[in-house]
Amino acid sequence: MNLRTNAARTALAGLFGAILVATGCAERADDTIIVGLSADITTFEPGMISSRDNSNIAEHIFGSLFTLSAAGEPIPDLAHTLEITEDGTGYIYTLNEGMTCHDGEALTAEDVAYTFNRIRDPENRFTGNAPGFVYTSVGFQNAVALDDLRVQINIARKNPIAFGLLTEIYVHCKDSYEQMTLDEAASNPIGSGSYRLTSWTRGSEVVLEKVREPGNFQRIVWRIIPEASTRTAELVAGNVDIITNVVPEQIEAIDGSGRAEVHVVSGTRRMYLGFSLSEASRQMPGGEEIQDARVRRALQYAVDVPTICEQLLSVECDRATGPVNPPNGKMNLTPYPYDPDTAERLLDEAGHPRGDDGNRFSIRLQAGRGRYVNDVNVVLAISQYLQDVGLDVEVELLEWASVYTPLLRERSMGPLFFLGTGGGLWSPIYDMTDMAAVDSGTNYTHWSDDRWFRRWPDLAAATTPEETRTIIDEMLQVFYDDGPWLHLYFQPDFYGVSNRITWDARRDERVYVFEAGLK
Amino acid sequence: MGSYILRRLLQSIVVVIGVTLVSFLALQAGGDPTYLYVSERASTEEIEATRRALGFDRPLHEQYLGFVGDLVQGDFGQSLSYRQPAMEIVLDALPATIELTVFALVLALMLAIPLGVLAAINRGTAWDGSVTTFAMLGQSIPNFWLGIMMILFFGLYTRWFPISGHVPFLTPLLNGDFGTAFSNLPRTIYHLILPGIAVGTYSLARNTRLVRSSLLEVLEQDYVRTARSKGLPELRVLVHHALRNAWLPVVTIIGLEFGFLLGGVVVVETVFSYPGIGRLLFAAINQRDIPLVQAGVILLAGIFVMLNLVVDLVYVRLDPRVKLTGGGG
Repeated sequence: MNLRTNAARTALAGLFGAILVATGCAERADDTIIVGLSADITTFEPGMISSRDNSNIAEHIFGSLFTLSAAGEPIPDLAHTLEITEDGTGYIYTLNEGMTCHDGEALTAEDVAYTFNRIRDPENRFTGNAPGFVYTSVGFQNAVALDDLRVQINIARKNPIAFGLLTEIYVHCKDSYEQMTLDEAASNPIGSGSYRLTSWTRGSEVVLEKVREPGNFQRIVWRIIPEASTRTAELVAGNVDIITNVVPEQIEAIDGSGRAEVHVVSGTRRMYLGFSLSEASRQMPGGEEIQDARVRRALQYAVDVPTICEQLLSVECDRATGPVNPPNGKMNLTPYPYDPDTAERLLDEAGHPRGDDGNRFSIRLQAGRGRYVNDVNVVLAISQYLQDVGLDVEVELLEWASVYTPLLRERSMGPLFFLGTGGGLWSPIYDMTDMAAVDSGTNYTHWSDDRWFRRWPDLAAATTPEETRTIIDEMLQVFYDDGPWLHLYFQPDFYGVSNRITWDARRDERVYVFEAGLK
Repeated sequence: MGSYILRRLLQSIVVVIGVTLVSFLALQAGGDPTYLYVSERASTEEIEATRRALGFDRPLHEQYLGFVGDLVQGDFGQSLSYRQPAMEIVLDALPATIELTVFALVLALMLAIPLGVLAAINRGTAWDGSVTTFAMLGQSIPNFWLGIMMILFFGLYTRWFPISGHVPFLTPLLNGDFGTAFSNLPRTIYHLILPGIAVGTYSLARNTRLVRSSLLEVLEQDYVRTARSKGLPELRVLVHHALRNAWLPVVTIIGLEFGFLLGGVVVVETVFSYPGIGRLLFAAINQRDIPLVQAGVILLAGIFVMLNLVVDLVYVRLDPRVKLTGGGG
């Protein structure tokens, strides 16, 4: 019995010691950077990638013809020049010489053409960002290799935002992908970018190794940490270098830790209160009243957006003046000030005085919960501001995925609704295309002001930047005066960054670590 | 015995089919999931095309019968999020959860039995009071709160244990990579300690009370008095006579408990960012990834019914008074 007991004790002690030794050896190397993401990666198939977290990793594995800088400027990547045909439907890229994919296969124009055509192939049934959004938006037709280094991308019609959208196509090589099944491609990408995938433990981490420039770190480890407080704990403990989606309540804890700090950037997501202007919404409480542009303008003065930013989002912000991200918006538009007296006067003038009960009219405000930063409290604050100027607001906070999203897609929400839509920095027109047509997918308000919509052909026909800018400014003035949005803010993005590294957060939610470095 | 097992297996099939129907209807109650699989700028045509591609344009009964038809051929469908076979993804995540569940259960049992015995043989003393209080606390404290507190103290302040993550042991072992599996084992255990304690505390507390009360009952029996009166050492009386019978309710619980733990680790896996089946299914439900949820539900239901069967068979083995009947008792 004693021998057995002693043996058991020795074995346990040995195991414990082995644990300590093994774990004590797991220190982070200087050539490794670790990023904590909030959502799992689902695929590395270029035609299926759609989430921002997935794209952030994919953009290190795959190259694009061109990429965009943090300020939205084009940067050559796999291609170094671009010519556009006279009719605006052909984009001819000239590739760099001597490029290869990660398996050593030479990367030529044929591979680029294959990439574009493969993503569109209906047999593959891809539903990612590329086929679902990019191709539809640009009217992609086909891609043709003109020679070894030149490839022509053909679109249906001249499109001023096609260039920026085409930067979102991940180039891969024909020979390797023709030999893979779709399942294999989803988990074993063979890319064309700076880093190759060395391991993917689903739900846990993705490890990339550098194969070429640019990139300051030899290894990037992307750890999946869905829980916000756990992400923060890992950052403060020094186990990760960058975390995304820091919640405002944890900013103080991170900044006070002495090991990391929070970087805040004004993101490109346009947060707004939409006025649903469809015929169906006229039947809703308040739906008839907001059809009047005077009422919408009056309500612009009712909401104190800077205070909402400061108190509920922990940032200072300038109120938005329209759908376009600064600095691409109309320069001389000043944000509507918070002036409840003016709001009340304008509502009186619009024919909606306060009744005996103190209310002017009833209205419903719908919002999804848990989708945006502190969205519930923002919506409740807005409803209170509106009530202060005499609206009897009924707030409905709905489950995002199953309840609110279908309402949005079917245009049956409202008449007031809270929403944020992604934008960009590389072209004001991209931001404006939310309302490219009355029936376009993102014109949730069903706004139909002719002064806006009849200018789109003019915009497409414009031949100089000055002419384009003039038309844009005229359209944005209309949107500012009588538009379908109660202008709010551009959603701030919060990143936690370790004091070990230098890294600048981008406004467009892209997490690129090419330029990150050790301090 | 053979006919009993066959009967139970047939019943299990009915149970699993029933579970899939309930989960299918529950997921469909939330409406059309197509919108979650298109970009926010998708046009009406794109939405329709995606709806057709994903099969959501078919009537509900067609969708379900199609699923069952594929199921009998061993096809669990493709995950909408991952675009890979749903059962493969679930099976990939299962070893991590088994590691966590087994670790938690072993930890709980290793401590529950001595604590329960300690309390029972020292009934009415401070030892008994302490153990009982600990057991009550263990059953009262929410496991997610316990997990967060342990992260704060042991992960952040003292940095004794990792805050999150997982090092696989079972997966390389099952793939035949024994070298990797056993070299990973120390780090696997290291990463399991905090989540294992969070998961296992409730089980530990409940089993402690169960062992205590069961042992107290057995210690009053005539055969225990007889054993003592024969002059047997107290330890032998306790282990070979009393505990052997006090053990039976615990055996029943273990099998069921493993099943409950397997399905109930969602919150702890989320808090610790542990890549197990609980977290996977939670994300799948949020994403309305119906094939993935169905595959997970089938797997967990199958494991649960098998565990029930094993527990019944083991119980018969341990207690000769129990007989298997046609009613499956």
